[in-house]
Amino acid sequence: MAMPLLRKPFRFKRQSRLHRMSRFEKAVVVLLVLFSAFMLLPLVYIFNHALKPYEELFIYPPTIWARSPSLQNFVELFNITSDSVIPVTRYIFNSLTVAVLSVITVTGVSALCAYPLSKHKFPGYKLVFATIMLTLLFAPETVTIPRYLVVSNLGIMNTYWGHILPMVAVPVGVFLMKQFIDQIPNELLESARLDGAREFTVFLRIVVPVILPAVATIGIISFQTAWGNVETSNLFMQDEQMKTFPFFISSLTSNMANNVARQGAAAAAALFMFIPNLIIFLVFQSKVIATMAHSGIK
Amino acid sequence: MGRIVLKHVEKRYGKDKQYAVKDFNLEIEDGEFLVMVGGSGCGKSTTLRMIAGLEDITSGELYIGDKLVNHLPPKDRDIAMVFQNYALYPNMNIYENIAFGLRLRKEPKHEIDLSVKSTSRTLEIEQFLDRKPRQLSGGQRQRVALGRAIVRKPSVFLMDEPLSNLDAKLRVQMRTEIIRLHKQLGVTTVYVTHDQVEAMTMGNRIVVMKDGVIQQVDSPRLIYSNPRNMFVASFIGTPPINFIDGKVVETDGGKLQLQTQRSYLAIPDAHAELLRKHGKVNRRVVLGIRCEYAHAEPEMADRHPRSQMTGTLKVAELMGADMYLYVDIGADTPFVVRTTSGFDCREDEKITVTLDMSKALYFDKDTTASLMYE
Ligand SMILES: Nc1ncnc2c1ncn2[C@@H]1O[C@H](COP(=O)(O)OP(=O)(O)OP(=O)(O)O)[C@@H](O)[C@H]1O
Ligand SMILES: [Mg+2]
Repeated sequence: MAMPLLRKPFRFKRQSRLHRMSRFEKAVVVLLVLFSAFMLLPLVYIFNHALKPYEELFIYPPTIWARSPSLQNFVELFNITSDSVIPVTRYIFNSLTVAVLSVITVTGVSALCAYPLSKHKFPGYKLVFATIMLTLLFAPETVTIPRYLVVSNLGIMNTYWGHILPMVAVPVGVFLMKQFIDQIPNELLESARLDGAREFTVFLRIVVPVILPAVATIGIISFQTAWGNVETSNLFMQDEQMKTFPFFISSLTSNMANNVARQGAAAAAALFMFIPNLIIFLVFQSKVIATMAHSGIK
Repeated sequence: MGRIVLKHVEKRYGKDKQYAVKDFNLEIEDGEFLVMVGGSGCGKSTTLRMIAGLEDITSGELYIGDKLVNHLPPKDRDIAMVFQNYALYPNMNIYENIAFGLRLRKEPKHEIDLSVKSTSRTLEIEQFLDRKPRQLSGGQRQRVALGRAIVRKPSVFLMDEPLSNLDAKLRVQMRTEIIRLHKQLGVTTVYVTHDQVEAMTMGNRIVVMKDGVIQQVDSPRLIYSNPRNMFVASFIGTPPINFIDGKVVETDGGKLQLQTQRSYLAIPDAHAELLRKHGKVNRRVVLGIRCEYAHAEPEMADRHPRSQMTGTLKVAELMGADMYLYVDIGADTPFVVRTTSGFDCREDEKITVTLDMSKALYFDKDTTASLMYE
């Protein structure tokens, strides 16, 4: 044998990590695994529910796994609207448009608002910031009527603007971005200015890349808000064509005389509602972590 | 081109605040290496930032070249600045960091490439060009910051304590690097530091500041050998200059002597003349003498008669070739004597210190101004 001493006993990486843990740590790990499995249940349930045929949907007690999975619910969902003027795909298109435009405007507006608040300290900036923070205190219901008046007076009922504009002001977004921009050393911006950058170039080329984690976070939040939002369809869209997918789903079951009909379609729709959230979250979340680790702000 | 003139420049942060910089008058010649030193908060950075245009000027006039630039934005002043914390753009790699300013000036691509390459060659950072700033060490980052400044070929460099985040060895290395760059490029440079070694070694001229006011502007040699006041005298030089309180008295022979707590020190004729001119006979003055002009060796007593003080040796500090003796001469602060490391002495023993009175400086006790100027 050449070098028997140098050969380490084979072991899985993770296994060796497990060996290094104390008994208490192992117990914690087991507990956490159980918890996360528990948290995963609704996810599994949504997926399976969408695949259950009608007879399985109403089984009591409900089962988690579909026994004989089928795509029958999805077929039903797309057939519901086959006899109406507006197909499901129109609702989905509206929702996607609104969600994407919301993400862009919300992150853009929040960053553009946070930057001068953080780095320009114009007279009265404290007051402005305090006012923005104050709006966090209002429950959404309290502003419904003023919001309606604004949207109606602007004449943007039944337009995409009617969906987006009420969602644009996100105090949490401004706050989070301001926190991030506060971290940027002034010298960085001054360097750029000395290098010949105009204010907007400074913002776009220096500030935005550094605060990408915040942008990603606000992106997730605003996507989820916009994607799940029924309120704007309810209040500002009289034209059926402009309503969004979540509104369509809520109308699937709520207007029915009995609650049995269309439950399958609703289950399929619930999955549809959920999947973009999942994707967005997975995509952005990895981005958040990556930018956090790589931004190198000291 | 790179001439900078400051006329009565003043800065106040806010109406009710104190002046951060007061009545600042200075002409910086084209191609000069000017160093500004002073204690913390004395307004060095503020002055530099006013020249850069990053801070408004409260009153006064600032000229770069022949142009009044009080209201010119930083980007139009043709200056580059190097900051203490490097301020590299974290999201761009080194190449982009250096090229950023050129790109904004819309220079042709191949010229940008040439400039970046040659600059990085001068600073020996070629191998890092595709790295991000966070992947570099402090010294390398500072090189990049320098590169970003010189690549644009500005007419003025401003540097605000660029070396203070580096360790001692690297600081010495970068110091010579910056001096070399200045010789090579000949660009007017204003360099802020609180490190007097940097000030002494780098500057053509040094500006010593205190509380927003210029104390003295002179060559390093003059600042050291003939400081304008006690602040400058004590600020420049390590260990700091020794001050001794005393009264100027006239002997029967018409000579002047300094009567101190413990002894009489003969004042050479050249100094005596100045002291008389200032009307300091029979007045109290402060004598300043640097540690290298104070001797502990007994044989020095013959060479400098009637310039002895006695005291108790408190601490002997060995600094390699030199040794600093801290002698208690009955004043508040110990008197420092420089001697060679071979000097034989014991702590807490009596010691006789001989002063080379021809190298002594005299200061007004009330105004702290030097009496060595006419
Ligand atoms: N943005 C500001 N707002 C208010 N006061 C300021 C501001 N910047 C500096 N000052 C004050 O102006 C004075 C001069 O500050 P400055 O930064 O020029 O000092 P400095 O000489 O650079 O000191 P250091 O060696 O510590 O960097 C200080 O008293 C400081 O408190
Ligand atoms: Mg400073």
